[in-house]
Amino acid sequence: MEAGDEAAGAVFLDRHRGAVWRLLRAACRSEQEAEEALQESFLAVFRAPGAFAGPGSARPWLLGVARRQAARTWRRRSGEPMHAEALDGREEAPLVELGVAAGWGEVRDPEARVSAMEDHARLHRALDALSPADREVITLRDLEGLSGPEAAQVLDLPLASLKTRLHRARLRLLARLREEESR
Amino acid sequence: MTPLKPSFHGGLWCTEVLELLPDLVAGEVGAEERAAVEAHLRACDACARFGGRYAGLLTALAEAARQEPPAGVLERLRLRLRADLPPTR
Repeated sequence: MEAGDEAAGAVFLDRHRGAVWRLLRAACRSEQEAEEALQESFLAVFRAPGAFAGPGSARPWLLGVARRQAARTWRRRSGEPMHAEALDGREEAPLVELGVAAGWGEVRDPEARVSAMEDHARLHRALDALSPADREVITLRDLEGLSGPEAAQVLDLPLASLKTRLHRARLRLLARLREEESR
Repeated sequence: MTPLKPSFHGGLWCTEVLELLPDLVAGEVGAEERAAVEAHLRACDACARFGGRYAGLLTALAEAARQEPPAGVLERLRLRLRADLPPTR
């Protein structure tokens, strides 16, 4: 995209705005924070045309810009690092414990549950109930369909850490869906 | 709902199958490991059902509606870009 090329800028914006917005809504604590990060992200990108010089798709690069902007917005508003709650050790719940909450090892339910995951509204409600740290990793991998290495690049994590975080986030989402199903 | 006691089938404990689920659904396990997991799933109803639910979640997420930015958010974004970026040509 050439500097000042409004038409190309509009096409770029239309192509990527949905994915950037979904990541920011997942990663941020409020719509206001997400909107602030959205504006700053596209401003940063349009102010430095040509900053993307990678061999692959622009999307992981752009989502990485947006994620860093979200972290700056988060820090400015709260004075804390982004997702501090996920970094303070609570993330270390044993996998089996998360699995049991998600329904792993459960004996057959005598009354078949109606699955909540096929209902988009209930699925989104369960997603919204997760922490921002869980939501963002699921959004990148399972909603936006980024590969593991691409999602790790966006979140600036080693691939192994990305995989661990993703598995745990999915188990917590399954646990939320069970709560939805028992209502 | 009482969780079942983990069992050992196909050379794997249920806990190992739980750990392997993400790689399994992503197709990132080797042939030998896949065969062991499949043998476990044939013998362990609880793991088979949970594995199906885990895979079903990923399908549901892939098919879930994609939320677009609200019209007001887009309008304010365009106004901000117009105001803060240098004029073209």
